[in-house]
Parts: sequence; structure tokens; C-alpha cells
Amino acid sequence: MSYILRYFDGIGISEATRLLLTAANVEWTEEHPEWPQEKANQPHGRMPVLIEKDVDGEADFVVCESGSIERYLARKYGFIPADLKQAALQEQLRDLMFDVNHALAGRLSSRCKEDRVESEKKFEDLLALVIKEQSKLITSNGNNGLLFGDCLSYADIVSYGFYKNLLQSVVVLLPDVADIVRTMLTPEVVNLISVVESDPKVVKHTSKGNSLAVAAVME
Amino acid sequence: MSSSNASYTLRYFDAIGLAESSRILLTAAGVEWTEEHPEWPQEKPNQPHGRLPVLVEKSTDGSPDFVICESSNVERYIARTYGFLPADLKQAALQEQLRDLISDVISLFFTQIQCKGEEDKAEFQTKFDGLLETLINVQTKLLKDNGNTGRLFGDKLSYADIITYGLYINLLIGFVKFNADIADSVKSKLTPEIVKLISAVETDPLVEKHKSRGGSLVAAISA
Repeated sequence: MSYILRYFDGIGISEATRLLLTAANVEWTEEHPEWPQEKANQPHGRMPVLIEKDVDGEADFVVCESGSIERYLARKYGFIPADLKQAALQEQLRDLMFDVNHALAGRLSSRCKEDRVESEKKFEDLLALVIKEQSKLITSNGNNGLLFGDCLSYADIVSYGFYKNLLQSVVVLLPDVADIVRTMLTPEVVNLISVVESDPKVVKHTSKGNSLAVAAVME
Repeated sequence: MSSSNASYTLRYFDAIGLAESSRILLTAAGVEWTEEHPEWPQEKPNQPHGRLPVLVEKSTDGSPDFVICESSNVERYIARTYGFLPADLKQAALQEQLRDLISDVISLFFTQIQCKGEEDKAEFQTKFDGLLETLINVQTKLLKDNGNTGRLFGDKLSYADIITYGLYINLLIGFVKFNADIADSVKSKLTPEIVKLISAVETDPLVEKHKSRGGSLVAAISA
């Protein structure tokens, strides 16, 4: 079994997928298709796309949409619990993060000042909600830096990917966002970031590039 | 499949909105369920994420009720529990990716209507139109490849069919209060294959009992 992740050459919304592939300890590579030339060759004309290559010569399995890709890998490799209730409690946190990213996309594309202010406010309100929920979960989980239980979970991984995008990717287009996010982070969430970054299952990937744990606190 | 003596409360506004797919899934599952319309925004602090919809699975053994939120998550939980999403992870992913695309379509709709600047309104309208076209093309192809039976996958009513219906009932009826033009615009873009899906869902024996507060989507399309 091996995987190809198709995406742009950047952090973006694929970091959680990269971490899940690393944590799953499977063979995987990345492709950066010519864009937009390769749009028509993707299932939804968008990226990321995940291709699972079977050794038995069966047709490749192709899945798209970052949420579905993450959930597929996380369920397959045991990072989302098999218990549907436990799974739902992790997945609802991720769904909230998608709304934060939608608000940010609104901010990015808005040209009128009033719309920018409105979408930035929506972004901050939703981000505050994410941080509040994560902090609450971490605290009730015994403050070990993890959201659920005592080993690295899907929720931990997608949270790290979420902050990596905000602090080290979006910052290129919207420099203020990183500062806003940093001031809102709680010690619990900063600890989560640090704990994930140094987890043996993902450290092979998180040690590439600039440390998110450092970016989460630096001025 | 989970225990048949489970019962649920779905908390949402008294509107079609993001709860409709969950209503249909609960109906199709044949479980006992009721709806609550919490005083809003007074009841905000009493919801897990301060938002609706919320699904409460009532406990039968004295333990706390199980409470989840976020519309996509609620839908997937019901669908997985009652077999509308396949147990096979690959088959499930192929259905779920459609819902993820739909989430972005819905998000663009709401971003667009909230824009004040004309340029931004136009920009997001273009994005919405483009992504909706992608969705319609993807769904039409799936329907054709599946024998044009009005089913996206296989031959039974699936999660994918239901959440598709849940989108179009909003675009054609539920969201009209936010944007008067949208119904006509979307209606003109529906392919015969999607119209057939809508009819197949609405008339499915498992769903028939569900009476949408917006009335029949099939009727709205033929009007």
C-alpha cells in the first residue's frame, strides 16, 4: 500500500494529511500538479487529492476534499476511534475548524473594507470558539497536551495542521493573522502544539521546516 | 446497526436549513426522534459549540445523554449508526467527499449574501456559481454511471442521496428568504439526473413520512 498526495507545494490545508500519512507509517510521496492545467484531471477540479495505490494491481483508489481524506486515513489507521460516539466527538472539532477557514477565505477575497472587517470578526469569533473547546478538552483530559486519551489522535493531528496553516502559511498572504492567532492561543493549546510536534509518530515530518511550537509563541 | 430503542432530540431553528438532512436521516432510520427549537440566542451557552444543530441521543441507563454538534458531523453519525454510510471506508469516503463539497457551496452562499461591497458580492456569486456547477457535474456523472436510477451509489437510499436532497431543498426553497433569485437560477441548472434523484429521495418509502416545512421539493421544481 502506498499513497500519493496531490497538492500545491506548500503547507496550506494539507498538513494534517501529511502528518496522518507519516503517523500511519506508510509509504507516501507528494505530487504538485501543474495548476490550473491539471484541474480537469482531479475528481472535483480541486486539491488536495489522495491516491491509494494497491500492490495487487487493482485500480487506484482516489479520494478528494481535505476533510474526507483526513477522516479516511485516520479511520483506516486507527487515529479516529472505531466507536462512533468517540469518533463524532473528535470530528465535530474539525468541522468547526472548517468554518474558521471559510471565514478566513472570505477575508482573503474581500475587497470592500466593511466586508473585510466583518469576515475578520467572524474568523476571530470562530477561532476563539475552537481555542476554548480545545483548552477545555485538554484540561479535562488531565492536561497532558492531548485532546482525548493518552495517545496521539486524529483530533490532535488536525489541530496541529490547522494552526500550522494559520501561523506559517496564511501569514504570507495576511501577515496580521499570525499575530492575532498568537495572542489568542492559551497555554493548553500551545502545549498541544508542542506535544504533537515532538510525538515520535510524526516527528519525522514536523522536524522539517520551521517549528510551529516556536512560531506559536514568538513575537 | 445500533439499538432500536434509542431516541433522539434534534435541536435547531424552526427552519429547513442545516438540519434538514439530519431530519431525513432520522426519519429514514426509523428511530424515535423529536425536535426542539431553543430560545435563541438565550440558549447559546447551553450548546456544545454555542451553535445549532445539536443532536441529543437520550441515554437509557441513567448515564448522561450523548450530545454532538456541527451539521456534517451529526449527519455522518446518524448515517454511520444506521447504515446509510457504508462500513467500507473507501465507499464511505466517496460519499463523504460530496458532502464536503456541498459544505463549501453552502459557505459561499452565506458569504455572498453577507457581502456589502458590490465587487465582493459579484466575486462570491461567481465563486458560488462555479462550485455549484462543479457539484452538479460531479453528481450527474455519478448518477449516469450508476444507471440513472436516481441513486448516486448502489441501489438503496444512501447518505449521499439524502444530503444532496438536503442541499437542493435549501437552494430551491429554504434559502429563498435570504436571496430571492437563487431558486430560479439553480432550477435552471438542474440536470434531469438530479431531478430524478430528488424525486427518488422524496418518494422513498423510508422518507415518505417526512414532511418538510418547505413543502415538496419535487413540486417546487415542476412549478
